[in-house]
Amino acid sequence: MFLSKKGVTSLPICPSGSVGFKLSHHIHSLSSEMFNEFDERYAQGRGFITKAINGCHTSSLTTPEDKEQAQQIHHEDLLNLVLRVLRSWNDPLLHLVSEVQSIKEAPDTILWKAVEIEEQNKRLLEGMEKIAGQVHPGDIENEVYSRWSGLPSLQMADEDSRLFAFYSLLHCLRRDSHKIDNYLKLLKCRLIHDSNC
Amino acid sequence: MPLWGSVDRTKLQTWSFSKIILGRPQIIKCRSPEQETFSCHWTDKDFHNHTIPETIQLFYMRRNDEEWKECPDYVTAGENSCYFNTSYTSIWITYCVKLINKDDVLDEKCFSVDEIVQPDPPVGLNWTLLNTSLTGIHADIQVRWDPPPSADVQKGWITLEYELQYKDVNETKWRELEPMLTTVVPLYSLKLGRDYEIRVRSRQRASEKFGEFSEALYVSLSSISSVLCNEEIQFPWLLVIVFGTFGLIVVMFLILFSKHRRLKMLILPPVPAPKIKGIDPDLLKKGKLDEVNSILAGQDSYKPQLYNDDSWVEFIELDIDDPDEKTDGLDTDRLLGDDHCKSHNCLGVKDDDSGRASCCEPDIPETDFSASDTCDGTSDIDQSKKISEKEDLLCLDQKDNDESHASPADPSTWKPNTDIQSKLPFADSIESTCPPVRTQLSNQSSGANTDFYAQVSDVTPAGSVVLSPGQTNKTRRTQCEAYTEPAIQCQPNFTMDNAYFCEADVKKCITATSHDAVEPHVQEQSFNEDVYFTTESLTTTAENPGTAAVEASNSEMPVPDYTSIHIVHSPQGLVLNATALPVPDKEFMISCGYMSTDQLNKIMP
Repeated sequence: MFLSKKGVTSLPICPSGSVGFKLSHHIHSLSSEMFNEFDERYAQGRGFITKAINGCHTSSLTTPEDKEQAQQIHHEDLLNLVLRVLRSWNDPLLHLVSEVQSIKEAPDTILWKAVEIEEQNKRLLEGMEKIAGQVHPGDIENEVYSRWSGLPSLQMADEDSRLFAFYSLLHCLRRDSHKIDNYLKLLKCRLIHDSNC
Repeated sequence: MPLWGSVDRTKLQTWSFSKIILGRPQIIKCRSPEQETFSCHWTDKDFHNHTIPETIQLFYMRRNDEEWKECPDYVTAGENSCYFNTSYTSIWITYCVKLINKDDVLDEKCFSVDEIVQPDPPVGLNWTLLNTSLTGIHADIQVRWDPPPSADVQKGWITLEYELQYKDVNETKWRELEPMLTTVVPLYSLKLGRDYEIRVRSRQRASEKFGEFSEALYVSLSSISSVLCNEEIQFPWLLVIVFGTFGLIVVMFLILFSKHRRLKMLILPPVPAPKIKGIDPDLLKKGKLDEVNSILAGQDSYKPQLYNDDSWVEFIELDIDDPDEKTDGLDTDRLLGDDHCKSHNCLGVKDDDSGRASCCEPDIPETDFSASDTCDGTSDIDQSKKISEKEDLLCLDQKDNDESHASPADPSTWKPNTDIQSKLPFADSIESTCPPVRTQLSNQSSGANTDFYAQVSDVTPAGSVVLSPGQTNKTRRTQCEAYTEPAIQCQPNFTMDNAYFCEADVKKCITATSHDAVEPHVQEQSFNEDVYFTTESLTTTAENPGTAAVEASNSEMPVPDYTSIHIVHSPQGLVLNATALPVPDKEFMISCGYMSTDQLNKIMP
């Protein structure tokens, strides 16, 4: 299904779209694994569980929070939302890769997963931007994203505080990657399989 | 601001443990089956199993809320539960719930709904038979099911992963398959005649917690068992028939072959094995020529490299009997002595596995090198070399012992022959054995020419083969000529004792002798031309003209072991009378000449 430049009701899913669906799942899997590993290694006994999570830096982005909302939103908007979330994670992922190496005795699995997530996130963003560009060429959507200001917390001298910052960041990453994956799955089932996955 | 914590799996796992110990009501679990609603459950018993009064309340708060709110639904999810429907459920949002009993906080948990998804069990399990094995023992089935109805997989809101487990009804341990995304899966190699149970559970993809198992599917394969599938009396009739037929065929073949030895001979002809009398065939097989040499020589000083130069010289194979016949005695003795049978026997074609029809070979035992004065060629070069050397030694020996010889001259003449020099020790040993031979020879008044076999020294263009008793013969011949030239006084003794005769020498002798015998005369004439042992196609030149000497009566004349069979060059010709041979019946020697069996047979009556 290819779209025209005006009044598009469908999205060109292939080939970048199909890749996007697999990529989003891949990113989410890596994020979950990385969070679990970090939690096992650094968060035990530190009380991170009981500490407040002040939300993620992407919380300011209004995204559908349940199925009904997600079903009501137009797929173009939904795609734009995906792009916003993806863009919002460009910077944090970049710093995550560089700062996670400063963690004392960081396991190699966490390191290479961070690198992998950062790379795949860029690829997914590019793929989605391609699709979005065909949907709304010239739309300056790429300016809207949520800025991340958590870098100082990742570089704190206090190890406990720094580890908690990482913990929060990884927790947010897992959640947002799951959200992106869900949105894209919705789009895929709606547009490709006609809501009959 | 209330403290918000995230609920992770480790925390969920520790819920039940920590609170039970404290003996207080606790939130057991909060769960969302489809990521659209969720519910929380708690216990109402304390450690002492006392029912807590029904004043327990559950409050919840979402991240964006300002205050705690009470549970909207205590009923739908059952007792001691709180149910949150879709309107109260937000995904990717942190929730905190707390259990309160009259302002007493009993328990508090924080989580987000996407983290507590545990789907309902799949429904609609069924199975179909795919195929059964040829042996009727195994079968493949296909199991399919439907996702839980509550999960909206069609819109893609939730993606489920399934895990199937199955086992024999008599077993206790379940077998697991890898989690899969499909709702259809084959099961291979189930045994017919048995019953199985199958169950499936699901979980959200990329999550770790499974939902509850479905109801077990009962697969009864016992009703599909075929006739062959009777496990108790499972007898492989097919295998028995097949192998029985094979066995019968094999037995028939054995019977067939055992009664027809000719057939066996046809199919498996015997392979001739090399046999040399006195030598262990295994040594030859192993290629230990050194050992063979040592055996043949029996002496340390023996040089097996005598004929290194003449690689082209072909050595006639020595057909030696089996080592068992070693005790039969010297062929020489047989030939020279009164024995006749053996020599006679040895003339004929030997019908043994050696595959060689050869004339009688001299016995070459380890200690009996005196019999080397026989023209024996051997397949082993060393052996022939040894023989030639023996001949040399014999020549030398006899010469030494010859009265009429100008003995002093002998060593001088033989000196150039370094080989002989080295063989002096050998000669010494020969001495002991020589006399009997010579005696025997002299008794027999026959030339002590013991060359039973000769070497082919040359092949003429005409195709005739020139034989020589050996390399040393040449030298000997040369020597002889050199020696006899100056002092040529035809001395019969000389010629007689000398096993080898020089042609010129003999000629002179013959010419000097009387015309006593026709044979010598003929001999002379025969000497005029080269003496030939002729066969149909083979002409041999005997270097030793003495072999042409037929007259046995003239002991002084060189009496050959074999008479010339065919001399055609003079009108007088040569009439050979086999019986007139001085050689005893059926005993003769080849005097450095080769005679074919035909020739021999002509001689022999």
